[in-house]
Amino acid sequence: MNILILSLVFLPMIGALPAYFSKNRLQKFCCFFFAAVSLGISAALLFSENMTVELPEICSLGLRFELDGFRKVYAVVISFAWLMTFLLSPEYFAHHGDPSRYYFFNLLTLGATLGVFLAADLSTAFIFFEIMSFTSFTWVIHEETDGAVRAANTYLAVAVIGGLVALMGLFLLHHELGTTEISGLYALAQKSPNKPTLFAAGCCILFGFGAKAGMFPLHIWLPKAHPVAPAPASALLSGVLTKSGIWGILAISANLFREDPAWGTLILALGTVTMVLGALLALFSVDLKRTLACSSMSQIGFILVGIGCLCLLGEENALAARGALLHMMNHSIFKTVLFACAGIVYMNAHTLDLNELRGFGRKKPLLRICFLSGALGIGGIPLFSGYVSKTLLHEGIVETAHAFGGAFLLHLVEWLFLISGGMTLAYMTKLFVALFVDRNPEKQAEGEEKPAYAKFPAILSILCPAVLIPVLGACPGFTMDRIADLGTDFFHPGELAHAVSYFSLENLKGALISLMIGAVLYFGLIRCLLMKEGRYLDRWNKKIDLEDILYRPLILRWLPGIFGAIASVFGENRVTGPFCRACFRFISSAGALFGENKATEPAAKAVFRTGTIATRGVGDLLDASVFALRKTAFRDSPPPSDEKLAEHYYFRIGDRIDRLAVKSGKERKGGHHYARLFVRVHTTLLNTFRAITGNLSFALLMLIAAIVLVFLYIFVVRN
Amino acid sequence: MNSSFLLVAVLLPFLAGIILFPLKLNTYKAVCVYTGAVTLSTSLLVWALILFGDRTAFPLFRFANGLLFTLNFDSLGRFFAGIIATLWPLTVLYAFDYMKKEPRQKTFFAFFTMAYGVTLGISMAGNLFSMYCFYELLTLTTAPLVIHHLDRRSVRATRTYFVFSLGGAAFGFASMIFLIANGVDGNFTFGGILTAYPYGKPVVTEIFYFLGFLGFGVKAAIFPLHHWLPKASVAPTPVTALLHAVAVVKSGVFAVMRLTYYSYGPELLRGTWVKPTVMIIAVFTLFYGAARAVKEPHWKRRLAYSTVANLSYILFGVTMMTSEGLSAGLLHMAFHAEIKILAFFCAGAVLQYTGREYVYELDGLGRRMKITFACFLIAALALVGIPPFSGFVSKWSLLSAAAQSGDLLAYIGAGVLLIAALLTAIYMFTSLRRAYFPDQNSDFASLESVREASPMMTVPMMILALGILLTGVFASPIAAAANAIAAGM
Repeated sequence: MNILILSLVFLPMIGALPAYFSKNRLQKFCCFFFAAVSLGISAALLFSENMTVELPEICSLGLRFELDGFRKVYAVVISFAWLMTFLLSPEYFAHHGDPSRYYFFNLLTLGATLGVFLAADLSTAFIFFEIMSFTSFTWVIHEETDGAVRAANTYLAVAVIGGLVALMGLFLLHHELGTTEISGLYALAQKSPNKPTLFAAGCCILFGFGAKAGMFPLHIWLPKAHPVAPAPASALLSGVLTKSGIWGILAISANLFREDPAWGTLILALGTVTMVLGALLALFSVDLKRTLACSSMSQIGFILVGIGCLCLLGEENALAARGALLHMMNHSIFKTVLFACAGIVYMNAHTLDLNELRGFGRKKPLLRICFLSGALGIGGIPLFSGYVSKTLLHEGIVETAHAFGGAFLLHLVEWLFLISGGMTLAYMTKLFVALFVDRNPEKQAEGEEKPAYAKFPAILSILCPAVLIPVLGACPGFTMDRIADLGTDFFHPGELAHAVSYFSLENLKGALISLMIGAVLYFGLIRCLLMKEGRYLDRWNKKIDLEDILYRPLILRWLPGIFGAIASVFGENRVTGPFCRACFRFISSAGALFGENKATEPAAKAVFRTGTIATRGVGDLLDASVFALRKTAFRDSPPPSDEKLAEHYYFRIGDRIDRLAVKSGKERKGGHHYARLFVRVHTTLLNTFRAITGNLSFALLMLIAAIVLVFLYIFVVRN
Repeated sequence: MNSSFLLVAVLLPFLAGIILFPLKLNTYKAVCVYTGAVTLSTSLLVWALILFGDRTAFPLFRFANGLLFTLNFDSLGRFFAGIIATLWPLTVLYAFDYMKKEPRQKTFFAFFTMAYGVTLGISMAGNLFSMYCFYELLTLTTAPLVIHHLDRRSVRATRTYFVFSLGGAAFGFASMIFLIANGVDGNFTFGGILTAYPYGKPVVTEIFYFLGFLGFGVKAAIFPLHHWLPKASVAPTPVTALLHAVAVVKSGVFAVMRLTYYSYGPELLRGTWVKPTVMIIAVFTLFYGAARAVKEPHWKRRLAYSTVANLSYILFGVTMMTSEGLSAGLLHMAFHAEIKILAFFCAGAVLQYTGREYVYELDGLGRRMKITFACFLIAALALVGIPPFSGFVSKWSLLSAAAQSGDLLAYIGAGVLLIAALLTAIYMFTSLRRAYFPDQNSDFASLESVREASPMMTVPMMILALGILLTGVFASPIAAAANAIAAGM
């Protein structure tokens, strides 16, 4: 059994090599084979005992894997999502040149992602998390357009900074508790006297994993990276990779900070902002994949809200825990369907603009049904699986509000939850209507002429997960509850007080409220304000972008300005260099701070100008004095007097040889006279020799000074 | 094996290098075969000594006034010699191809081989005096390698190299005299040879330790004395790679280790003003080096600044003056050696095959020189400290050593180290980004003629890349060796 867990992680990584070096059909088979093997193994492991595997001393910290209910479920979900995208990939990449690089890194990422989820301690998780970040970087940059390069740079920056901060957190945690093993964290944390340090460590880890999950305010990469990546990759980025961030947050929330209200409040607040902001962005977007990406962000917010409640509720957190788990799993499936559909759309239409895509899906019933299944699922419509998890999350919030005596803020969270649910419905309706109901004014007929829009494997890749959604959602007591029961080992929820009757009136009311809010939003906002003459309008102000406003200037301009100033103070060895450059840096960083807006720009520029002139002036003055000193008091000693003679001598010999050469008719071509050559060689030698002897004498001087110092000390101290 | 073999290991390459001058070898190939044979046999001998050598001292002779010249191959020396003996043959193999078009090949290989013997001498020296002799000799044998091109830049670089190295050694000399005057022969003993503060006053000891730290720190490129290292990157790449990322600079770090742990002793220094002072120097240098590397557009100089930073990572571990710190420092010494030598090999291959030496000229090269840049990618990941490559292991142990030392300054140092890791990511990945994903408007026509480096270059690179991965995944034997040294075994 142990070997099965290890092969789950390492087999795809090994499989990456044959996938890279094989071609065409063999390559596709290779990828498909390894993903299918992963799915097979993880399915087989569903029926095995819980266990741990340890590889001691690998990477000096040792790797530890654990298999429990939650991890079993998620291993299946991951392998399933991967298999589905591999079904879609061959057709998607058919006209994209050589996809070897994509397949290679894709299989590596599969292994690494499974490694993160199966990890038994946070350091193992971190190792695979970092591998995953870097291998998935190639997905984002795959298209190599300017937009992709920019998005990938952002992705890389977030991954690197997040990774380093998480490492800091892990290292604090390891130092404080002596271990990072997840199951032992709770007991150790209870005993630890140093709660603030633990909280700081937790925040660092939250930063790292939250960045990957797309949590506000680190979500900046998400709406940019998902649309530019190839569709199969976006499905995985959104469906699975963000969940690895959630996994990390869960691992500390459900263990280290179990029953910690302060932590719960933090997560709840961040989750609420993420949930609302993501939904809002999705509502305004007019790009198919960008809408889906923002929707991912919003759904991550839903899950985070569940995790927040899980921490706040203490003993009675069973509902929130089950809701978070199920919503994680559901969202993975929804996003696999929806992004795969988007991939099929892009494959045919070569655009993601909703206005261009209007009416694309008419007369494509299968695509419509699959997309509808995903949309209804994510919208939380009864009988689809999303309804179950959202109901649980909703009940969790209600319970939290109840437990805290009906605090106003918690009621606000509940309402924001319902409104976000409504927004989800509204933007999914917007996508559905645009794709399948609207008519394209220009090329409707042309689009409907092509009946074959995807081959069988690609159809399979949307059909399989789409079927799962209603199957899981229709009889939740039979399917979803059992899956949720498996999560107890990881989530450590309290006892479930009573079985949830999902289709009771009370619970259906929540869905109904969301449905109504959704309808109001769709008809009131989207149809009235965001559409004009049948076209979707992009009314979101592009300038409101946290990345452009804050992060890029901070990292690219302000920090280098400050650090550059520090570095240049201790810069090169010229006498005036450090001083001048320090002033320069300071002024230029100040200029960068103030020079970008209209109010302070003229003043900043004026200060900058005068500062430049002044420092230049001072610098030149000092340089001039140094120059003067070197020419007078510190003048180099004159060259030895026989040098000229020697030159003469060398020149004479060379000259003779030249003459001989002319006489014998063997003159060197191009006017290279021996005389010149000899003189040049001689001066080089002389200069080199002088330089070396000069410095040797300097060194000897230092040596003597040091020896004198030594003996002075010895004599002074001894006597 | 008898300790007298130590002398053979030192003298074999040294004399073989000298003999190469008058030796009449007509073809370049003959020079290569000769150098290769000497290097390989020396390396085998050294490894045999590391594994089976006696642990007895081998006193050679005594100067007047009891200055003893002795060889003693203890665990720390073995660790350092192990790094040297593994990397030297690989570099020589790389150099065969690199030097093919360069002038004065015979002189180059002669001095290169001599430097091998001298570096081994440093690792095998049994006391301060003999180490100091080899240390000075190393400056003298490596300077001709820096000046190799004989143009203006290299002459200047050599001048700077001389000024800094010899001037620094003078400070080291002062420290040595102090120790010899107060400890018997100055033989290295773990835990220090000074039992009490000589002359009754701690301040004298502290000042001399500080002088010694600065003196030997010149070769370790600590902050105000680092200037020679980026300049010396004008030398041919095998020199920059092996000497200025491993042999010479690590000799400096090695000497500081000897000084701190084997001569003055951490017990005596802990709790004095000198410990925070040297640690601040190390922490500042590691930040400074990384910040300068980010700003530097010249590829090899950028890597040289990165070396400045990484040497101070090691010194940061050393100056914690705990056994965990020493162990972490040793680990980083071994891992940084293999990482940086690989990075330089890649830069050298690009320089030799395309003539491009600035980072902004790398556009699109990743597609043409696949192996070279794949290797550089591994080096970059390892240098930043991404698991499962080796750099992660040493950085992790440095961080945990800092936490265990319980020193406020060490905590700050750990924070700075992480920021420096971020800067490392910036300066390594920006060059990679250019190579793999060039801007749309860059010059693609000139890429047509670019081809991959020859196997003579790529094979050592691939071996090193594999080594980085393997030592990262299976780091425990090396970590165990470092721990044993730090525990005084």
